[in-house]
Amino acid sequence: MDPAEVEFLAEKELVKIVPNFTQDKIFLIGGDIGPFSPSLPVSVPLWMAVNLKQGQKCRLVPPDWMDVEKLKDKKQEEMDSKFFTAMPSDQYMEVTQLILKSATDDIPHADEIRTLVKDIWDLRIAKLRSSIDTFVRSDATHAKLNHLTLMELNTVRPFLTQALDHMHVLRNNISGRIQSTQD
Amino acid sequence: MSSSINDHFFSIDSILATQERLPCKVELPIFRLGYLDSATDGNDLLPGTKLEMPFWMAQSLCSRRRHIISIELPKQYRGSYREILDADANVVDLHKMGPYYYAFGTQLLRFDHADGSDIAKSLLMTFQMRFRKIMDSSRNSFNEDTCSLTNKLDETERSLFKAGQKELNDFQRWETRETEKLMTSKMVRNHRKRKRAALEEIS
Repeated sequence: MDPAEVEFLAEKELVKIVPNFTQDKIFLIGGDIGPFSPSLPVSVPLWMAVNLKQGQKCRLVPPDWMDVEKLKDKKQEEMDSKFFTAMPSDQYMEVTQLILKSATDDIPHADEIRTLVKDIWDLRIAKLRSSIDTFVRSDATHAKLNHLTLMELNTVRPFLTQALDHMHVLRNNISGRIQSTQD
Repeated sequence: MSSSINDHFFSIDSILATQERLPCKVELPIFRLGYLDSATDGNDLLPGTKLEMPFWMAQSLCSRRRHIISIELPKQYRGSYREILDADANVVDLHKMGPYYYAFGTQLLRFDHADGSDIAKSLLMTFQMRFRKIMDSSRNSFNEDTCSLTNKLDETERSLFKAGQKELNDFQRWETRETEKLMTSKMVRNHRKRKRAALEEIS
């Protein structure tokens, strides 16, 4: 999957905005949104929030977890734990990217948040890689990794599946099951 | 998938892997094929002649039913080379040892050779040892020349490396917001180029 596709999926995530215009309920396939009235917070999908923000029609309220203190705690937890910890949002990377790109002025300490999220991401990717390595070296046939997000999985998918394919063939060699030429 | 070492009938990789040379010894006289062995002038291949044959040919001449020739293991799959791989698989130049080291090794197991199970084990272990290096190098070389990283990899490993590079590039492009720029599709661009070339030819 392309990262852009993963991002597309993440755009369904709901975020709170404070609109500055009045509008009745909008009926969409994904559900009804609104009604909008000035300075009353309302939940909308991320794609709509980004769109409204670009038109200067709303102020974005950052999600609960997008906070310097909370992210610092999360980072520490991630560092201390040997395993993956549950992330506040399944799409933390994509949501951060989108919000920080379009609504930097609505997020307090945007720079710090960007760095922290990137740190957490790097920590998790390093963990992911070392667990893949242990998995490949061991003779295990399956592994269980909890709390991985879609984007993280997506960065290793084609590589990992190809490597496992290859190992499967090599394993079959040992057990003496050689595939015939034309199966 | 072109990368897989599963041998499919139409897979180019598999065809290339099975044309590796294999040292063989003729056990029964083969008539009128003397020209295969450049060392003799005779018309026939006599028993005891040693020569190299491509794998696909050796395969049909040496099986449980027919035993026209006997095969020897190529040197890169013999015990001494396996020991080198045992010691440290990361430094070995697998591309030199046969660009399709794993695929050819897998094919060799078809002859019920005494070393068969050892070779199979060595292939798996080699891959497991080299995996980390391939993973790390493919994911940490952004925008740089990768020749020095890939020239020791066997073809299967290279396709793995490419997959890793693609992921890295895709992700970097997304992170720097390159993906949202609209671009001409490759097909259209090439089509235009071709059209221009055709026009120039005419004029």
